[in-house]
Amino acid sequence: MKTTDIIRRAGRSLRQAKTRTLLTSLAIGVGAFTITLSLAGGQGGRDYADAIVRSNTDVREVVVAKESDDPTAIQEYDAEAQGGSATSPFPALGGAEVLTGDELEDIRQYEHVQSVTPNYSPSVNYITTEGQKQYVVSSLSTFSPNVTLEYAAGDVSGDLADDEIILNEDYAEVLGFKNFDDAIGKEVTINATKQRTLFGGMPESRDFIFTVVGVSSESGLAFRSQGSLLVSTDAASEVYDYINEGTQAYNKFAIASVVVDEPDNAALVKEKLEENGYTAQTAEDILGTVNTFINVLLGILLGFGALAVLTSVFGIINTQYISVLERTQQIGLMKALGMSQGDVGKLFTFEAAWIGFLGGAIGAGLAVIAGTIANPFISEALGLGDIYLLIFQPTQVIGVIVTLIVISILAGIFPARKASRLDPIEALRTE
Amino acid sequence: MIAVKNITKTYGRKQNAFVAIDNISFEIPSGTSVAILGKSGSGKSTLMHAMSGLDRPESGQVVIDGRDILTLRSKDVDAFRASKMSFIFQSFFVQANETCYDNVSLPLEIAKVPRSERRQKVEAALEAVQLLDKKKSRARDLSGGQKQRLAVARAIVNEPEILFADEPTGNLDSVTGEVVEDFLFNYAKSRGATLIVVTHDPDLAKKCDARIEIKDGKIASMKGLPKATKKRGQA
Repeated sequence: MKTTDIIRRAGRSLRQAKTRTLLTSLAIGVGAFTITLSLAGGQGGRDYADAIVRSNTDVREVVVAKESDDPTAIQEYDAEAQGGSATSPFPALGGAEVLTGDELEDIRQYEHVQSVTPNYSPSVNYITTEGQKQYVVSSLSTFSPNVTLEYAAGDVSGDLADDEIILNEDYAEVLGFKNFDDAIGKEVTINATKQRTLFGGMPESRDFIFTVVGVSSESGLAFRSQGSLLVSTDAASEVYDYINEGTQAYNKFAIASVVVDEPDNAALVKEKLEENGYTAQTAEDILGTVNTFINVLLGILLGFGALAVLTSVFGIINTQYISVLERTQQIGLMKALGMSQGDVGKLFTFEAAWIGFLGGAIGAGLAVIAGTIANPFISEALGLGDIYLLIFQPTQVIGVIVTLIVISILAGIFPARKASRLDPIEALRTE
Repeated sequence: MIAVKNITKTYGRKQNAFVAIDNISFEIPSGTSVAILGKSGSGKSTLMHAMSGLDRPESGQVVIDGRDILTLRSKDVDAFRASKMSFIFQSFFVQANETCYDNVSLPLEIAKVPRSERRQKVEAALEAVQLLDKKKSRARDLSGGQKQRLAVARAIVNEPEILFADEPTGNLDSVTGEVVEDFLFNYAKSRGATLIVVTHDPDLAKKCDARIEIKDGKIASMKGLPKATKKRGQA
């Protein structure tokens, strides 16, 4: 018998037992539903994490710091080190090693490295604008054109000019602008105090004037708190120089950002940095951590789905076995007419495959429909804006269905063997 | 020609052993219609199963067209049955849920007849038993006589050389039974096919060219078949 004819006959037998076929398929459908949604959630989660990391970090960026001993390890007392109070320029950092200007210059010479920018984050006193009170600012952050920002007002394409600043919504509000759009183009003043050098000197402070070009808004992708006040690297450097020049801390940084020429080379540079005694972290690393977490969750959900599929396997075996017993006479007739053992086995195998296909298609189809309907509600409940957490990929959906067909075929082997081994004479005696 | 040589079939073992057919031999020339007569349990059905290769006797030969089908591999016996033989059973064994067309198409599918040729053959077979108008009806909606006519259509659709009929009219009243018989004999005569009818109905047996009567697994009497074979068989 030709395979196409066997498949047609298998489909027809199932259609003649619609209710039974449907019920058996639905058992698989539950598994297909769970697995499809899990995979969509996993994909959505990974995409979301990817979007977060990409919009918060630059894929070409490697964050570098000096490698330090495990800070939690108990260390031997060192009288000299403890006594020399001046050895650590950053008492607050608890003795963490720092990057010096020379070292940064050295890193700048690495292959693939395009630029090395220390993290200035100068500590300033307050921000104010005409006719308003002064508000505390912890530090200025550096704007990176490669990190995606969402704007409540204004927009910045390319880099910031040295006298421009981006406020977040909170600062724009307290500084008394009528609305966010009103803030654009206004001048704000930031005050910084010069640190005392070893040689003493009079305490002095200075005002830096910036023009507001944008108000950044809270984003569904905000992974770490965006700097509340963003200025250009040069502006941050200028404020930093004013505050720290002449002190011991000057030109010493906890971390620096290394930008490489191609995203693919980030790992190479990271490797070289680590060889030379630095710690380095790429966007990929951050993503890896988040993805591990997502994959664990995904694994748990897939486990539930697999359990549902396992249960339905027994359903298929049972249904098909009963079907063989019911159709003994039909099997006997087909064998008497010259249908071979193998073809009889195939007939029942294809019936099982049809059940698997139906169950997979129903389950996966419902999952896609349910997920598509639920997506906006999920995003609203979690405050993700227009990012969807369930992403259905055609290849994954097809993969689920194909896998279930294979599993159903395996489940159908036992009843199919029973059918193929039926003795036609015995079978035809049944009445 | 079908030559049955010294076949013996035993069911059960040791004390429970029951000899269903005991060293039977005969020859049926092609195109002959033969009735195998006997009471139930006489071994006539077992003989039919052995002749069609459905059952395997422990000794003897069944030579059809010069080939001993008992020595063939089961796959080859299947192929042989699909292309050369056909069956009609007392209780029809038509597939109630399928249409008449699909019922008749089954042997063609099993014999791997190309799809393009099937329609014409199926319709010709249904026409021959006057069921063409029921082509799309489900078999369960047919009357008993119609079901057996459908079974005849299924049996003749692939133009078999040997047609086995196991009590073909056992479940039918005499009028419908005769209609079915006529279809069977017409087919056998017009195609020169061998028709082997297993029955205990003497009237049906009379219509056949030859008769073999079986009693307790042995040939009790034989009419209309070459004598020489009988002697050798009974030796």
